[in-house]
Amino acid sequence: MPPRRTRRSRRSRRGLTIGILVVASIAIITLDYRGDAHGTITWAKRGAHDALAPVQRGVDDVTRPIGSFLSGAVHGSALEKQNAKLARQVSALERQVLAQQAIDNTVRSLDRLDRLPWVGGIPTVTAEVTALSPSDFDATVQLDKGSRAGVAVGMPVVGSNGLAGQVIEVWSSGCTVRLITDARSTVGVRVGPAGNLALVQGAGLGRNLVVNLVSPGITLSKGEVLTTSGLQNAQFPPDIPVARIVSYSSTPSATQQTVTARPLASLAVVSYVDILQWQPAQ
Amino acid sequence: MTTSDLARCTLVVAVVVVVQHTLLDSLRVGGAHPDIMLLLPMAAGYTAGPERGAAFGFVAGLVADLFLPTTYGLSALVGCLLGFATGVATSGLVRSSWWLPPIVAAAATAAGMGGYAILGGVLGDSTMLRDYLAPALVVGVPSAAVLVYPVLRMVGWALPAPGPGYNAPAGGGAR
Repeated sequence: MPPRRTRRSRRSRRGLTIGILVVASIAIITLDYRGDAHGTITWAKRGAHDALAPVQRGVDDVTRPIGSFLSGAVHGSALEKQNAKLARQVSALERQVLAQQAIDNTVRSLDRLDRLPWVGGIPTVTAEVTALSPSDFDATVQLDKGSRAGVAVGMPVVGSNGLAGQVIEVWSSGCTVRLITDARSTVGVRVGPAGNLALVQGAGLGRNLVVNLVSPGITLSKGEVLTTSGLQNAQFPPDIPVARIVSYSSTPSATQQTVTARPLASLAVVSYVDILQWQPAQ
Repeated sequence: MTTSDLARCTLVVAVVVVVQHTLLDSLRVGGAHPDIMLLLPMAAGYTAGPERGAAFGFVAGLVADLFLPTTYGLSALVGCLLGFATGVATSGLVRSSWWLPPIVAAAATAAGMGGYAILGGVLGDSTMLRDYLAPALVVGVPSAAVLVYPVLRMVGWALPAPGPGYNAPAGGGAR
């Protein structure tokens, strides 16, 4: 058994070590929180992402089949249901193809003029989703286009059906997008026949969105599409479809209706998105 | 700590980062995924004692923070506290039982995730506690109990035995 003095000195050395490390951690957190070391930390994060990106791509090419297998094992029953649903949809779509061909020419010519009506004249960068959120504490995805492709923090990201999220971090070969389902995400939208303003708030990946600030008097309908408000200094351009109302209710004494909505972009399975080269006003 | 120890530690952290971001990030259940990064400080504390556990957890946390959109330094603070606490809590135990590492890993992961969410809440991000902690615990804790063995092996290979008077665990620690 070590002598008492040795044990005491070991204990005090331990105390000193953990004390120094805790103080160092708090100092780093404070510097980042206050924004004092934002440039250095952003630079370090970009470097780390750039260094990891090729490794990630290489390993991903090798391990994708394994990941798909494991993912399939976890989501087996859901995939079976999805497959059955897709099979039904395929047969329905095949019937529609012939009828569709006639109107395709018209659509194509209109498409050339105005490809996605709600994107308007905003230039876009098409990107592939390379990774899901590295943390259990946010709903984000990583894309394969970064500052080299003209992507910047704050740019909106859209899927084929509607708003997917907003760029929150950029490095040279990729970026991180906060999805609209993230609990920190808030999107200003228009709701109801008069286009009243409301806020769509995320509640975590895979959960429905919560629509706040909907007054009791506003007439709603299930399936109603909410679009971005585009107010002055808004975070998103106007008229981008965001979500579809799935439920609403109100009590006599409530100051607002309880409304939930489902994102129009399929965020759980999204693989390609468009980044709108539009930045919110500072 | 020698240069070769440092190189081994760097290699282990790099391998764990790559495994986390290429394989485990895409294994999602209810929006959450296994978190092997939290096992690094736990394994270091378990294998090499509180001091080295704290130092290893701090560095591993700084590396983990590079890839997270949350405040920089949060994982470093959680990591050093977790490494230290694991070292202190397990230093008096005779660690030959096969079931001890999974229990320690599960407890450490729960404590680490809880601490992370609480610190996030202190910094003004209440969503970490309110919306994300429960699914993270449901997925993270059982997966930590499974993933702890390879992590203990790697960390045991990287970190030298802390010297006489410390009970090195079976399956890791002394080379």
